[in-house]
Amino acid sequence: MAPTESVAGAAEPGVPNGAAGPDCVPDRGLDSALAAELWRGCDAGSWGLTRDEFEQILLDAGTAQNFGLTETAALVPVTRKQQMNFFRNLCVGDLALARACARGNERAWEHFIATFRQPLTRAAIAITGSEALGRDLADQLYAELYGLNVRDGQRRCPLLSYRGRGSLMGWLRTTLVQRHVDHYRRTRREEPIENFDAPAPDPPPQTPARELSLLEQAIEHAVSGRDAEDRYLLAAYYLDGRTLLEIARVLGVHEATVSRRLRRAEKEIRKQILKHLQRQGMSRRAAEEAMGADARDLEVNLKKLLQNSQSEAFQEQAAS
Amino acid sequence: MTATSQHELHPDAESLSAFSEQALSERERAEVLAHLAVCGRCRQVVALAREAAEAGAGPAAQPSKTIAPNAWWKQWRLVWVPAAVAAALAVTTISFVIERADQHGPDIKIVTQNPAQSTPPSSTSPPTEQAKLEPPAAAVPAPPPAHTAKHLPSAAAESLPAPVPPAMTAQMPSEPGASEPESADRVDVTREAQQAPHEEALQAPPEFAAGATRPAYSQPEAGAWEARQQQAEQQRQAEQQRQAEVDTSHMRSFKSKAAPAAVHEANAAPPAGATQTVTVAAAPPPETRPAAHAPGSKSPGTATTPAMPMQLPSGLAVVSAVSGGHLLLAIDEAGALFLSEDHGVTWERVATQWTGRAIALRQQGQFHGALYVAPSIQNGATGGSSANADLAPPVVAFFELSNDKNQTWVSTDGRTWTPK
Repeated sequence: MAPTESVAGAAEPGVPNGAAGPDCVPDRGLDSALAAELWRGCDAGSWGLTRDEFEQILLDAGTAQNFGLTETAALVPVTRKQQMNFFRNLCVGDLALARACARGNERAWEHFIATFRQPLTRAAIAITGSEALGRDLADQLYAELYGLNVRDGQRRCPLLSYRGRGSLMGWLRTTLVQRHVDHYRRTRREEPIENFDAPAPDPPPQTPARELSLLEQAIEHAVSGRDAEDRYLLAAYYLDGRTLLEIARVLGVHEATVSRRLRRAEKEIRKQILKHLQRQGMSRRAAEEAMGADARDLEVNLKKLLQNSQSEAFQEQAAS
Repeated sequence: MTATSQHELHPDAESLSAFSEQALSERERAEVLAHLAVCGRCRQVVALAREAAEAGAGPAAQPSKTIAPNAWWKQWRLVWVPAAVAAALAVTTISFVIERADQHGPDIKIVTQNPAQSTPPSSTSPPTEQAKLEPPAAAVPAPPPAHTAKHLPSAAAESLPAPVPPAMTAQMPSEPGASEPESADRVDVTREAQQAPHEEALQAPPEFAAGATRPAYSQPEAGAWEARQQQAEQQRQAEQQRQAEVDTSHMRSFKSKAAPAAVHEANAAPPAGATQTVTVAAAPPPETRPAAHAPGSKSPGTATTPAMPMQLPSGLAVVSAVSGGHLLLAIDEAGALFLSEDHGVTWERVATQWTGRAIALRQQGQFHGALYVAPSIQNGATGGSSANADLAPPVVAFFELSNDKNQTWVSTDGRTWTPK
């Protein structure tokens, strides 16, 4: 087995060497002692991975995620402590298993099937609500994972996209859900239009058109001004119809916390709408009367408003 | 935005999975949350993945929407199980109590209905079919004579001898045509039922029986027996006092006969283990006693159990006793014969007219009213002719006395005895 210094001594092009202190790992390489410790801890040798291959996998994962550091610190040498913090928060064992499976290691696949086959099938059945659909969904994912899909003459294994952030089982579940949701959305669009009843024509608005226009602007301004968490709470609760408990489980907080945050967000949105209307020249009483306008008279589509506004981070990802 | 495809605009599965598992850094989490706020598809992915993770612990074929049944002990149906058990137990207990009450019911019924059902033997008509089925009035034992209880001091009552042995003979009233064995059986049954508590209460513990070889009892048991004996004695005295108040006319017939002081003195109790055959005349029912004990009339000879022991002038224990009509004969441990004409209140010693030691008394025939003279016996003793015997009334009843050599003497009045 190759020693660790081969990885530690490897230098990446364009990266200044020796710019850090004594604790820094030169050339953003992997600390040999840390790599040895992780190697022993995850039992990667059982999946047919050599130590060099394992260290290369870790290095690729760390580099791809910049060792958990911000973008501005990309060129700064990574210290051993930063590497340790990053890899300790990584599911190194699952990462090694996924990469071993992606390389077609039989022992790794046997272990993968023995460990994840049944839970994945149960998850697929739970997602689809049908045992037949669930098993089909799970089998389809297995076929993809095994690398049956070939792109540009090479096997494409989805396991290669797993970088150890979160558990492998969670990644598999989320991948299943993504497949199912995408399939559902695709097939839902194909539903015949005669199944939908034409909505009844709205009655003429009783609130003056100018006030309604000001109210729509105020709502858009207040909602867009909320932070990401408030917008998520509003969308999950009012648009998706999720319960407080479901939202709380996703966010990892208590149900009462979600309720309290929702009430606070509603109160602040109302306050901002009033302020915006008053800034537009309406009296407080007129603004409050405008707040009591029939929601059906408004042209504001909250769902469209929220879903059309993409976060900057993923816009940048899409642009790249 | 230069989105190449809709899929590339969303966070990858790992980011969403790590977001659900709280494995992202604050910066990454804020980015994913901001996307979730505007992306219904990713919100749906995260929510479904969360539901699938929660359903992953359940059975494979169970959809996530299915609500898992509660634990078996939380199911409301099982609340009825302990309730049903408690109800069944309550019903069983009530049934058992009722059954036991029914078992004791006849005894109580006989005792309480005794005065109402009893009729004087002289006024009874020939028994009907129903009367044959029911116990005769005279067969129901009357409570012990009031005067016996009244004249017995408490000290004497406490030093009561052993209870009446099971071998006690019972003689029924000499009702012509009455079924004597049936009546005797009924007397025994009712007597045992009535006397059982008293016998149990008055049963002396073995260590109180003089000259008896019994296993020793512990001191607490003896104390408990004394307390139980006193309680039973109090109950018995209260019952006798109540009976005495009712039977005032019966008491008047014995008023003139004052018991000697020697009788009232508490003598040494006879050995508890002594076997005695006691046959006394039972008192008629309270409402019929005035007629039955009218002056000049004699109470019919009935057999019952004397509630109180006989106290002989010799002070010795009674080894054998027999009654017929109004006569009561008793033999003490020394072999002396005593005669009483007032149901054991006063005694007179009968001169010895036999050889050896008298040990047993028996009654032959039935005593009905006054005793009849037995000419055949007297003729046998005096050597009279058979013609006189034919003219004489038939012998109805007589007493027999046996000595320790198994020789027998007979007598009709208890005073004059002739060899048989």
